[in-house]
Amino acid sequence: MRNFQRYIYATKNYSENLKELKAKRLEKNKTHVLCQEERVFFSRLLGTIMAHHNEDEGSIGTSMHGVTAREQVFSFSVQGEDDGPSSHTVRFDDPTAKFALPVDSEHRATAFKPFSFAKPHMRAFHLGWISFFTCFISTFAAAPLVPIIRDNLDLTKSDIGNAGVASVSGAIFSRLAMGAVCDLLGARYGTAFLLMLSAPTVFSMSFVSDAGGYLSVRFMIGFCLATFVSCQYWTSVMFNGKIIGLVNGCAGGWGDMGGGVTQLLMPMVFHVIKLAGATPFTAWRIAFFIPGFLQVIMGILVLTLGQDLPDGNLSTLQKRGAVSKDKFTKVFWYAVLNYRTYVLFLLYGFSMGIEMTINNVISEYFFDRFQLELHTAGMIAASFGMANFFARPLGGYASDISARFFGMRGRLWTLWILQTSGGIFCVWLGRATSLPIAILSMMLFSVGVQAACGAIFGIVPFVSRRSLGLISGLTGAGGNFGSGLTQLIFFSSSKFHTADGLSLMGIMGMIFTLLVAFIHFPQWGSMFFGPTSDEKKSKEEHYYAAEWTEEEKRQGLHEGSLKFAENSRSERGRKAASDGSSPSTPPENGNPAHV
Amino acid sequence: MAVQTFLFASLIIFSSSIESNHGATEVSLFTNLENSLEVTATRVGVVLEAGKDMVRITWMLKSSAKVDDDAAFKTVEVKLCYAPISQVDRPWRKTHNELSRDRSCPHKIVSKPYDNIPQSLNWTIDRETPTGTYFVRVYGIGVNGQEVAYGQSSDAEKTTNLFSVEGISGGHTSLDIASICFSVFSFGSLLVFLVKEKRKAKLQQRK
Repeated sequence: MRNFQRYIYATKNYSENLKELKAKRLEKNKTHVLCQEERVFFSRLLGTIMAHHNEDEGSIGTSMHGVTAREQVFSFSVQGEDDGPSSHTVRFDDPTAKFALPVDSEHRATAFKPFSFAKPHMRAFHLGWISFFTCFISTFAAAPLVPIIRDNLDLTKSDIGNAGVASVSGAIFSRLAMGAVCDLLGARYGTAFLLMLSAPTVFSMSFVSDAGGYLSVRFMIGFCLATFVSCQYWTSVMFNGKIIGLVNGCAGGWGDMGGGVTQLLMPMVFHVIKLAGATPFTAWRIAFFIPGFLQVIMGILVLTLGQDLPDGNLSTLQKRGAVSKDKFTKVFWYAVLNYRTYVLFLLYGFSMGIEMTINNVISEYFFDRFQLELHTAGMIAASFGMANFFARPLGGYASDISARFFGMRGRLWTLWILQTSGGIFCVWLGRATSLPIAILSMMLFSVGVQAACGAIFGIVPFVSRRSLGLISGLTGAGGNFGSGLTQLIFFSSSKFHTADGLSLMGIMGMIFTLLVAFIHFPQWGSMFFGPTSDEKKSKEEHYYAAEWTEEEKRQGLHEGSLKFAENSRSERGRKAASDGSSPSTPPENGNPAHV
Repeated sequence: MAVQTFLFASLIIFSSSIESNHGATEVSLFTNLENSLEVTATRVGVVLEAGKDMVRITWMLKSSAKVDDDAAFKTVEVKLCYAPISQVDRPWRKTHNELSRDRSCPHKIVSKPYDNIPQSLNWTIDRETPTGTYFVRVYGIGVNGQEVAYGQSSDAEKTTNLFSVEGISGGHTSLDIASICFSVFSFGSLLVFLVKEKRKAKLQQRK
């Protein structure tokens, strides 16, 4: 890029070249106007406010932006033969040369540098995932301290179980509402609101004196898990579609680690406070101030250091994007009509759901069954959650690799294998009577179930193009639902010993994982059946265009879906190359959104 | 990844070493113990407050008890045990016949040498005692460190002569005030930022 600039400056007919370059770009822009509008339309569909063109206000609540697996499937510009490296990057006379990372014409970063804190892209990434991480810490902060809390508040097993259910239930609704909030206020305020409005709920643990209070506080703290949506929204706005899968995967996985870190952090903090002289029943209340502080600090950091969009903050931006938003009723309708939405809802409930349930029960389980110290039990429980760091990206990666060879069928089998093995190891964990075997089975279980989460979001982007945001959001909510359900059935009453509850939960998970066999795409087939033999229906275009009415097709609103369909031909596996229908570009990147 | 593997490996090794402490040669069962002690626990008032109120505990060898060599003991351990009502729906307080796995008497009151004369103790209920209904049990510890005899202040079904303890709440006024202060700070800083940014946007618009 810089060499090109220098070349231009150095040539004698500088202004001539400049004019030529500008004309070329204008021409390129003209031919790309359609693409850009499509893409803008999609972004609108998912709720981004564009910074470059005039745009009508869309209806609030239509956007599930950020909840999606990815913002755009195809990158904006096309490599010109003459232009070389400049096509992806900024116009050389553009003021955006001030960005530390290479950006596309929407100023979204096209590179991901995890060790950088450069403004605004990497800063947004780090603020986003750390906020999500902090909220996971707060939501599951009570779990490792339950052995102390249950004596202080005279809790029964039902009380503890119900509070666990409550802690994950609030987020079902807050996650669905978060898309709209981010549209209205921007990702920065969305995140900050969640952090700073739920911090008082964390502090209010000091007031709790009975089971009812405990349950209400845990319920209220649980709302902040919607930071998942605001985090993904923020990264989707800041990062180009080519890398958004990896970025979202890292943000999601590293955020989920909070559920593990809290099992280590809270007992340690509790221990230190006890050493400082407090009685146990006071010490655990003081310990809750730590997650509260973290949330307030992160909220302030997000507000001061963060930026809604690459060009600035929402309220100070004058220009807005073009094209009207898609109607929420339509998006909702097509999500609800697609049976795969429900299958994914349930599947995610038994991967992410089980993971969240384990975050709530595993520390107490190790404490009681193996008579460990509180911090030892916490350490073991922590290693379950911390496996997220590599296990989730691994699942998404495995899904992508299998798609390269076997297409969508490979993805489905990968998901089934990972989730079922997670279930098997869960059963083993319940049966284990010695500590080393329990730890071994727990680690294998954690990898299986967390990789399955990653694999599910390798499939979600292909289920629908029009309703992608809503389906991603519903899948995410399914995780919370599954967690609430499994805690309610297996860990809230004295009907089952916790160990039996674990085994039964593993079996239930394996049974529900069989539903993967029911995900069938007419154009790609399913686990056991190939694509339909019907000539028309076996085209990807037919599947994705079916979400638009004839009227809408006449208006050309479905162009984006067609573009996506073309790119999704890689889901045929190796056959895509032999078909020769399109250059097999693998779906844009490794790992779409990880919840 | 390397860190994860290392952590995992060290956990396995660590836990194996914990595991090896279950080296008891003989399993001590509750039903094998002789009920040779007479224990009384008297208190003033119906509900006792942890850290404040007192229970008077006495124990002595029953006149009817035949103390042979097996059941002879030199040390006694006085423990606070949960009554059945405090064990309902709380599997972590379950009674188990195998004494090493029994969780119903977790609170140790005192451990003293015993020499066949009646002993008594005025015990102020420990501050950390949780809310619940209790009775007192005294174990006679034999020469090999295992329980050989017992006595309790309640009957065999653990229904009579129970006493309730009200645990401390753990809350303090200072904690409550700190919590309110930080919550207000959290709300307040959010509002301040909102207002500041709105003002900045207005100023920019005017420009």
